[in-house]
Amino acid sequence: MGEHWVGFIGSLHVHWDTLITMWIAMAFVIILSFVLTRNLNIKPDKTQTIAESILRFFTGSLAGVKNGEKHVPLIASLFLFILFANLMGQLPLKLIRLQQGELASPTNDINMTAAMAVIVLFYYLYHGFKEKGIHAIWHGFSVSGIIMFFVELLEMITRPLSLAIRLFANILAGEILVMVMVSICAIALPIPFMLFEIFVAFLQAFVFMMLTIAYVSSAVSEEQ
Amino acid sequence: MEETKTISDLMYIGAGLAVGLAAMGAGIGLGIATKGFMEGAARQPELIDNLQSKFILGAALAEACGIYGLLVALILFFMR
Repeated sequence: MGEHWVGFIGSLHVHWDTLITMWIAMAFVIILSFVLTRNLNIKPDKTQTIAESILRFFTGSLAGVKNGEKHVPLIASLFLFILFANLMGQLPLKLIRLQQGELASPTNDINMTAAMAVIVLFYYLYHGFKEKGIHAIWHGFSVSGIIMFFVELLEMITRPLSLAIRLFANILAGEILVMVMVSICAIALPIPFMLFEIFVAFLQAFVFMMLTIAYVSSAVSEEQ
Repeated sequence: MEETKTISDLMYIGAGLAVGLAAMGAGIGLGIATKGFMEGAARQPELIDNLQSKFILGAALAEACGIYGLLVALILFFMR
């Protein structure tokens, strides 16, 4: 918990355990989307119904956003990846011994969550500039306009920071909680907390998705 | 030597204060959110589905503030 298997590629630090579990989560998402989208038809069969209901969840969440359909790929891949990554912490992958650290959820590494938060930052900035030009951050030469410009600059730091730390800290706190319960009594006591962590996994993926939608929506919407 | 020992002792107090105060704020926030949800649900039961997802989102955001305090406490504990 909290420790990582540090390696080097050239002069870059690499957390191997995070990398391995991240690729497993990515493989889950890729296989799931591949399996669910075989044999698409006008008259849906069982797998297509599941795929359509998952997609309808994302389009429904994006209903209030201008040109919402356009943002489904980012939103859906973020949600599904974070969900699988969080849920992987409850698999008994920790039985596999590593040199350092352990195989847990990749989202307990702040580098992982910070990377996703920075992707969200560049995504909503890009769409804001594309939609409104320089007026995405510049609101004209007035006192309130200049104050708002500095607030926008501040938000570029605080939004990805809070996105990254919220996800990272929730997952890490969950692992610490389960570990404390294991050290109190390893039989049966951790089970309710692990069930709670499954709920937290869904909740945090949902929160990350909803905040991304809120940021993108505020970037592309017309000014009042 | 004596001075560093005092500082590390103070860090334990700081870690306890960080998690305690953060939990206090998060608890108050969660309480207010739950109160608002309950009042809204009692007045207009047909809106419960709509309110519930927003309540869960707000509750998760409030809870995250408590977890920031836990994070600071852990940093004080393990990065001495």
